[in-house]
Formats: sequence, C-alpha cells, structure tokens
Amino acid sequence: MHGARKRKIQIATLYAALGLSVLALLIWRQAFPPVTLWVAFAAAFAFFDWRSVEVNDRMLMSPTVMVALTAAVAFGPGKAALGVAAMAALGAFSSDDVRQRRWFQPIANFGQMVVTAGVSVFVLEWFLVRALASTGDTFWLWIAGGSAVVATIYGLINYTFVTVAVRAVFEKRDLRPWSNLGQLLPSYLLMGFVGGLLGATYTILPVVLPLVFVMFMVGYLSFASYGQLREAHEATLRGFIKALEAKDLYTRGHTERVAYFAQLVGEEMGFNGTRLERLRWAALIHDVGKLAVPRDLIRKKGKLTQDEYEELQVHAHVVEEILAEVEFLRPMVEIASSHHSHFDGGGYGGVGHTHGERPSPEACILAVADAFDAMTSTRSYRMALSQDYAFSELRRNAGTQFDPDVVEALARALSRSSERYGSPHLASEEEARRLAEGTQVTSHG
Amino acid sequence: MGDPRVTLKSPLFPVVWALGSAALAYLLMGETEMSVLQVGIWAILLAEASLVSLPASSGNRLSLAFAVSAALPFVLIAGDAVDLAAAGAAASMGLLGTWMFRTLRSDPSEEVMAAVLRHGFGVASYLVVFAGIVAMADALGVPAGDSDWVHLIAFAVAASLWFLIETSLWAFMVFGRNRLSRRYLWLLAAKDWAVVLSLLTTGALFGFAWGALGLWAIIIAGIPYGFAHLAFYRSQESRRTYGQTIRALSRIPEVAGLSPKGHSDRTSGMAIEVGQDLGMTPDEVTDLQYSALMHDIGRITLNEPSILKMGFTDEDIARWGAEIVAEAPYLSHVATLVRQQHQPYRRPGEERDLELPMASKIIKATSAYDHATMELGFSPLEALEVLHRGAAYDFDPDVVQAVRRVLERRQIVPA
Repeated sequence: MHGARKRKIQIATLYAALGLSVLALLIWRQAFPPVTLWVAFAAAFAFFDWRSVEVNDRMLMSPTVMVALTAAVAFGPGKAALGVAAMAALGAFSSDDVRQRRWFQPIANFGQMVVTAGVSVFVLEWFLVRALASTGDTFWLWIAGGSAVVATIYGLINYTFVTVAVRAVFEKRDLRPWSNLGQLLPSYLLMGFVGGLLGATYTILPVVLPLVFVMFMVGYLSFASYGQLREAHEATLRGFIKALEAKDLYTRGHTERVAYFAQLVGEEMGFNGTRLERLRWAALIHDVGKLAVPRDLIRKKGKLTQDEYEELQVHAHVVEEILAEVEFLRPMVEIASSHHSHFDGGGYGGVGHTHGERPSPEACILAVADAFDAMTSTRSYRMALSQDYAFSELRRNAGTQFDPDVVEALARALSRSSERYGSPHLASEEEARRLAEGTQVTSHG
Repeated sequence: MGDPRVTLKSPLFPVVWALGSAALAYLLMGETEMSVLQVGIWAILLAEASLVSLPASSGNRLSLAFAVSAALPFVLIAGDAVDLAAAGAAASMGLLGTWMFRTLRSDPSEEVMAAVLRHGFGVASYLVVFAGIVAMADALGVPAGDSDWVHLIAFAVAASLWFLIETSLWAFMVFGRNRLSRRYLWLLAAKDWAVVLSLLTTGALFGFAWGALGLWAIIIAGIPYGFAHLAFYRSQESRRTYGQTIRALSRIPEVAGLSPKGHSDRTSGMAIEVGQDLGMTPDEVTDLQYSALMHDIGRITLNEPSILKMGFTDEDIARWGAEIVAEAPYLSHVATLVRQQHQPYRRPGEERDLELPMASKIIKATSAYDHATMELGFSPLEALEVLHRGAAYDFDPDVVQAVRRVLERRQIVPA
C-alpha cells in the first residue's frame, strides 16, 4: 500500500509538472481567444467531461475531443492551443473528486488533459494556417485531414498517459481492456473529424453555433446509450444471480468463482474481447436452471437416485425456458445449457448439447471451472477438498469428461497467479463427507 | 406495452384531414420558380428519407423525412420565399409516395394515412410559420446581413410549433379499443423530443451548410446523424433488454411450479390498462408493468422445506420479492411497489392510507381478480363482485371502478 502511494505521488507530480509547463509555454507564446466564445466551449467541455460514460470495463468516453477540435478551429491559429488547453485544465477538476476527497485523479487528469489538448491542437494549427491560405475544396480538405490526424494524436497521447499511470499505480492485470486501442481510435477519429468540420462551418457561418452545441449533445447521447445498454446487460445478469442466491446460500459465491475461473482459462487460451465476455456471462448464468429445481435436491447428501438425477438434468432445459426471451443472452444460454456435457460427447445438456459430439470449447471450459469449484468449496454434504486432489480428479477424467487442454490451462493460470483454493490437505472424498456429517451432528447438538 | 393504434373512428380525423388539405392548398396557390423536375426530386428525396427511421421511446418510429423537411426552407428560401409553396407540394407528394409504398407493403393503411396527414399538417405549418417569420423580418426592415439569424429564429419557433402540433395530433388521433387517457398519450409522444430534436437540428445544420459549403454539408450533417441513429437504436435495445429480463425473472416461479402459469403476465396486462385508465404517466405505467410482472417473484423462496413448515403470509411473499427486486439498482422504486402490494388501502377506524402508491393498489386488485377467475373458477362478474365486496378495506374503490371499466371495454362484462 505504501509503495502505491509513493508511486501515485510520483506520477501526479510528473503529470502536473508537464501540464503546468505546457500551459506556461502556451501563455507565453499565444493570445487568449475571445472570452465569450471560450466560456461557451469551456462549459460544454466540462459538461461532457464530467459526464463521461463507461463504455467498456473502466474505459470512459465522452465527446470532449469533438468539442476540443471544434473550439480549436473556431479560435483560429495563434489562439487555439492556449484556449483549448485552458478548457482542458478546467475540465480536469470535477465536483465528484472534491466530494470524494480524491487528489490523485484530478491532478493526474489535469496534466494528462492539458498536455493532450495543448500538443494536439498545436499540431492542428499547422493545418489551420494552410487551410486558411487556400479556398474552396482545398480549404475543406486541409481541415478534414488535419482534424482526422489530430484526433488520432489526441487519442494516442491520452491513451499513453492513462496506460502509464495505471501500470505504475495499480499494476493490475484486470485493467487490460485499455489495451483495446483498436476500439478507441476509430471513435476518436470520427469525433475529431466531425469536430473539425463543425468548427470550420462556424468560422464561415457563426449562426450555426447553437446547432453545433446540439450536435455535441447528440454525440454524447451515442455514448450514453452505449453505457445504458451495457448497464442493462449487467443489471440483467445481476438480477438472475441475486434471485439464485436468494434461493440457495450454497450457490452464493459459486457463480462468481466459476465465472472467474472460466475467465482465467479463457485468457490463458487466448480468448479476448466479445468472446471472453460471452464466456464470463455464460458462467454467470450457468446455474439459473437451479431456480426451478427443488432445494432439497440441490442440497441432497449422498448419491442421487435415478429419478432425482433425471430431475436434476431437467435444469439444463429450464435455463433455456427461462432465458429464451432474453435476446442478448442467446449465445450464452447455449454454452450454459451444455455445461454438463462431456468432452467425449456423453453427459447431458440442452440445445448446445448433441449426444456423441464434442461440446464447444466454451462449454468445456465452463464444465472444468464448475467441477473445480464444486470440489474446492464446501458443500452441504462434504467439506472442501484440496486443490491438488481436485486437479488429480480433473486429470483422471481428462479426455473423457473434461477437455485435457482446458484442465492444463487452468493449472497453468492458477500456478502463475499463485492462487490456491480448497482445503490445504483434505484429499479424500470419504474423509470430506465424514467431516461434513460430523459438523452436522455438532450443529444439531 | 401494447402500442396505441390509430383508427379511422376518431372523430378528429376528418377535421385534421380538412385542415391539412387546406394548408397544403394554400401553399400550392402561390407562384413558384421551381421546375417540375426540382419538385419531383424533392418528393423522391422525402419518400426515400421516410424509409430510414429511428425508434423513439414512445414506440413510434420517426423518419429521416423530419430532417429533410427541416432543411427544406433553408435550401429553398435562397431563391424566393414563394418557393416554399413548391416545397409544400414536394412534401405532400413525398409523403403520398411513402403512403403508397408502405401500403404496398401491407401496413394497416388507416394508421399510415393518419401518420401521413399528421406529418403533412406538421410540415405545412412548419413551412408557413418559417416563411411568415422571414416575411415579417423583411417587413420590419431587418438588414440583409442578419438574414442568417432570422433563419435561426424562424427555425427555432417553427420547429417547436411543429413538434407541438405533431404530439398533440398524435395524442388526439389515437383511439384504440382501450380509450387511453389523453394525458398519458401526450406525455408519451412528448418523450420523443430527443429524437425529434436531433433530426430537426441535423436538417437545419444541413440547410445552413448547403448554401455556403455545398457537398461538404452532407458530411457535416450526415455523421452526427449517424451518431444519433446508433444512439437511438441502442436505447431501444436497452429498453427491450430490461423488458425481456423482467419477463424472464417473472417466469421463474411459474417454471418452478410455485405460482400458476401466466398469472404475472395476465396481471400485468390488466394492471397496465387500469393504470392508463386512471391517467398515470408513461413512466408510472412502466413501473407498474414491471412490478406487476414481478409481484410473485418472492415465491421462489417457497421450495425451501423449512419455510413451508413454518408457514408464511402474503406479506412475507411481498417482502421476499421486494428483497430480490431491490438487488437491481435500476429497480429500487419497483421494489417499493412490490413490497406494498398486499397492504389494504384503509384500515378499520382509520382514514385511507395516502402514502400507499397507486401502483401497489392496482396490483392488489388485478392480482386478486386473476386469482378469482383463473384458480377459484369464478366468472368475471363474480370476481368483480369479490373486488366490490373487498372495497371497504382491501381494494381502493377507484381502482375497482377502473377494473370494471377495463372489463367493460374488453367486453367481458356488460356495460
């Protein structure tokens, strides 16, 4: 913890120093744009920056790049870089930060945004000078080209600053989504491009300014709607998990752990983006069918009878019945409903399962993650077993029930992160069951 | 939610028809400098544009024709204000083209006809008001250099009026079998403002840019339109996801055999109609729909043997249900409605409970009605009698009256 604080101070100092020097340099070299115009754009910039939308895991987006480029073109060369950098400096301090007494975020943001805006708009000025010297289509080509190039630079600088700060301060592997530069750049490019063109329209027809602000709003809506959709999906999953937990305390935590193991294996096997997310979501809903299975059956101690086993099998189909209508979950339902399928084509399952055929890699991963967690966590009928025992069981059934590659991928991922699950020593099914009986007896007594 | 439908039975229909035709005729009387070819091109453009549509939160689809119509006066006024008449002609022809096209695709033609008249009337008033303000500025001697600002003001005024006319006409022309309250419909239509605003602004931006920048105007207005298009489709998708999720959750106790099949669907179907009858706002009706669908979700707790042994009350089920619903942050107010679904509206010796939400009272009554008809085997009249008899404490008499009206409209009980 101490180290993290030290690194935070280092990063904040570095970023603030960079920001302040860029700002000082610009104040020295440039004139300030017309105040009324600046205030209008600065207000829009701050408004959208404070309302950034989470479009991907911890990836915040807002149409600020659009506002910045429009403002830059509107201010004109000789004033643009200073004007936009000053806007960015203001936008870095949000009321949220003050309320939550955060100091690192606003200071780091200040440096990051001032440098990003100052440097990229300074490049834009080079294009602007050339544009203003020409007329007709050439003018528009300089503006369009310039704003596209500058939007890319803006995105790259911003990205570098965030990555450096995140790596230095958090050193966390689950911040990888930021590496999706390919996802980010096109949207920066498009927004910057439109921003530049809108700015040029303003220089010719000042009357369009109110319309330009509505266009910013529309740009914002497109992010906001993306965030909403993401939220809707998340809320859906959470709703089902909570319903499941309300029904059975033993399931609590199981779903999240299985999702975590599935994600580990998925990453190990080179899944990314949508495919990885789908796998995680499939893991989150894999037990929804249990909602419709009588609780005493789920918690049953000892071997199930044939009838009971069949009743349990029904839950693979119940998942489908309950979730059939939820469109975005359809691919996930297919994976989830075949998590009891065996690698060699045996077992049981729903639509995703065809007897005698190998299930999809996702279903194989889910099967291993489910079995691993079942063995290494305490159930009503037995205590948690050790991790080594769980792996020996998985390996014994690899090739028949489980996919050998998946089992090894899980072993590799866990040994790399040096995580351990289950009891440290318990290595026999009988022993574990007997111990569970023992605790039952004492708790009754 | 059942989309309100427009039918020809509305008495306002001929009035709107007459007014719309009069407005168009007035526009067409003027002299025009436009060639037939130009009018034709605009008509085709409008017809094409009306095929590209955006979903709005009311369930209506608003087309790109809004944007094209909004751009019309800017593009045409450069020549002569009289050309607006030609624009009117183009608009009517374009809309007629849409009507023909959609009818060929076998849409219910009355509905399309009503939409064509509504838009025709809306566009016509937009063009007339726009031209009127421009003419007024001329008469007042506003210098030519300020003409852009005059256009901006004319746009703002005329567009607001257009939106007002569209929403009001829509609210007054919808006469479904359910006789929805006008307030409900107007508020529903007014919720589309964001889509309308982005379409009209895109059109105006294009109109301004077209004269000064030529073809670049298409890019400048087109890309923001793309943003809007994506945004509204995604919003629609998230609304649908919420709806589907809640329906799926509501089915869990039914699939598990813990509550009768179809009970929550039927209860929510009737609750919506009762809520609309009682003049709730669209947002309130959505909450009512969600809470009615999930009012029995607490029953999933019922296959816990120990709970069955201890016994439970309806109160308990409501509480367990609310606890599950409350886990989703976006449903916190729905959880409150679910929690209070079993409270009587009045207790002996007390005044009626004013704190109790209308939605909870509606769920209590409609759920009891469905229970009586589907499980106790009562006839609709007998079930209604159960509600009337319970109106001293359990069921709010206003709600019971609304249930009766809904049943009469469904022609289940005689009026």
